[in-house]
Amino acid sequence: MTRSPETTQNLRARLRASWLDLALGALGASFPIFLWWIGSHTTTFVPPIGDVLREIPGFVTGEDIWPDVLVTIERVAGSLAIALVLGFAAAYVMHRGGLWGRVADRYVGLMLGIPSTLAALLALYVFKRSEIGVYFVVSIITFPFVALTLLQGLRSADRRLDEMGDVYRLSTPQRLRHLAVPHLVPYTFAAIRNEYAHAWKVVVLAELFAVNSGMGARFARAFDRFRIVDAMLWLVIFMIILLGTEYLLLLPSERRVLRWRRSGMEGLR
Amino acid sequence: MTHSDHYIRVTGLDVSYDGFTPAVTDLNMDVAEGEFVAVLGPSGCGKSTLLHAISGVVPPQSGTIEIAGRPVGSGRGDGSVPIGYVLQEHRLLPWRTVAQNIAIVLRAAGVPDDEVDLRIDRYLNMLHISKFRDTWPLRLSGGQRQRVSIARALAVEPAVVLMDEPFSTLDEVTARVMRQQLAELWEESSQTIVFVTHSIREALFLAGRIFILTQGPARVFDTIEVPVSRPRRYEDPRLTELEAQIVEHVMDEWGYGATAGEDAQR
Repeated sequence: MTRSPETTQNLRARLRASWLDLALGALGASFPIFLWWIGSHTTTFVPPIGDVLREIPGFVTGEDIWPDVLVTIERVAGSLAIALVLGFAAAYVMHRGGLWGRVADRYVGLMLGIPSTLAALLALYVFKRSEIGVYFVVSIITFPFVALTLLQGLRSADRRLDEMGDVYRLSTPQRLRHLAVPHLVPYTFAAIRNEYAHAWKVVVLAELFAVNSGMGARFARAFDRFRIVDAMLWLVIFMIILLGTEYLLLLPSERRVLRWRRSGMEGLR
Repeated sequence: MTHSDHYIRVTGLDVSYDGFTPAVTDLNMDVAEGEFVAVLGPSGCGKSTLLHAISGVVPPQSGTIEIAGRPVGSGRGDGSVPIGYVLQEHRLLPWRTVAQNIAIVLRAAGVPDDEVDLRIDRYLNMLHISKFRDTWPLRLSGGQRQRVSIARALAVEPAVVLMDEPFSTLDEVTARVMRQQLAELWEESSQTIVFVTHSIREALFLAGRIFILTQGPARVFDTIEVPVSRPRRYEDPRLTELEAQIVEHVMDEWGYGATAGEDAQR
């Protein structure tokens, strides 16, 4: 079978685009490394890249870092789940409007303006050094963003598909399963992907103030004892987990669930 | 009189858009079982609202709608007859494949699980789109999507198929092919079809009888029998002649009379 000239041209254009993407990605990734290199040569508090890299194998195998890593992951996942439930409830109430819709709208607006540090300190006063404080801070900081994204989804629901549901007498569970939930999936994924990175940043901050366990607490301990290489190692682990889950878990799951959209884009080419 | 003469019976129908603005007023029409009728009217006259009312989606302010002697209801299990509806846009769920789109309405209509796949295959074959069974709707062309929409409407094996300008968004060549196939399909199945259109030629080509509506709020202005035997050709000169007569006939009623024309020229 021979390829038509147009197909070959398309393939070449796509290859060129992928190479360009790859090159730009590599350039983007190398820039912070370059800054690190500059920092290590011009300051006394940034350790050399080589020193940190040499410590990584021993750090990930020898020291008891994993219980703290796991407890932080658990806090991020749990808080994000709570934020999703709260966010969906708030978005639903706001979408319905009326008095409660306006009330929810004001509260979400207020929560959007609260700085993470203030929330973490507030949680320390209210919950003392308890686990609930961490969950509270992360959920309260991330849920308004989830609510706004899901509200956008609810507002953009296609009324014409509802009408199709009326015509064919779809039951409420069928409408939820085939109309409402699939429509909200892209918005839910967008909310999860945005707030996942946000939750990691907030959880580390909350762990600095509120508890003695987790990656934030270990980071603070290393910093307090002037163990700069350890602090950098925790930073590297933090970034590996954050980017690893983003590119190896969230992005592939999103692509799989939303493959019906991609097929449309291909069809339009 | 039997049900077959008055299979669909609409009597003194009043429907409004919002409870105040009338869309259909004092409309009466009877459709026989197995008949293909067209409802013709200018854009925005209330044709779609009439179909919505016949399907039970929009409740009438007053008047009655009966299909096969039973009042049109609003849901499953209310004793009303099943209805297939092909809308102007395909209204397929983009996140479900072609087969899943049909399966969803079949399950909603209470079709037993072991029959669902058989029906999907049968109607996709009938519409010549069986190769797209597991395709996402966004991968299909406009014509293919509309075929799926028709297959979905027919697969529930409804008492009546309602079609609301289903080919108006397609290019002319695709629309002509689809009209031809619809005409053949109807001759095979003898399904009762109510076809809404604003195209006089389309109505003449497809229907045995045409209900001409007034400008909104809609009521029946005239009913015309199409005296051309089937199978018909879209380019048939008799259809051209009838089209000219109907245009002449509706000119005043649709607000394009001599005075309106002069006003427009000024």
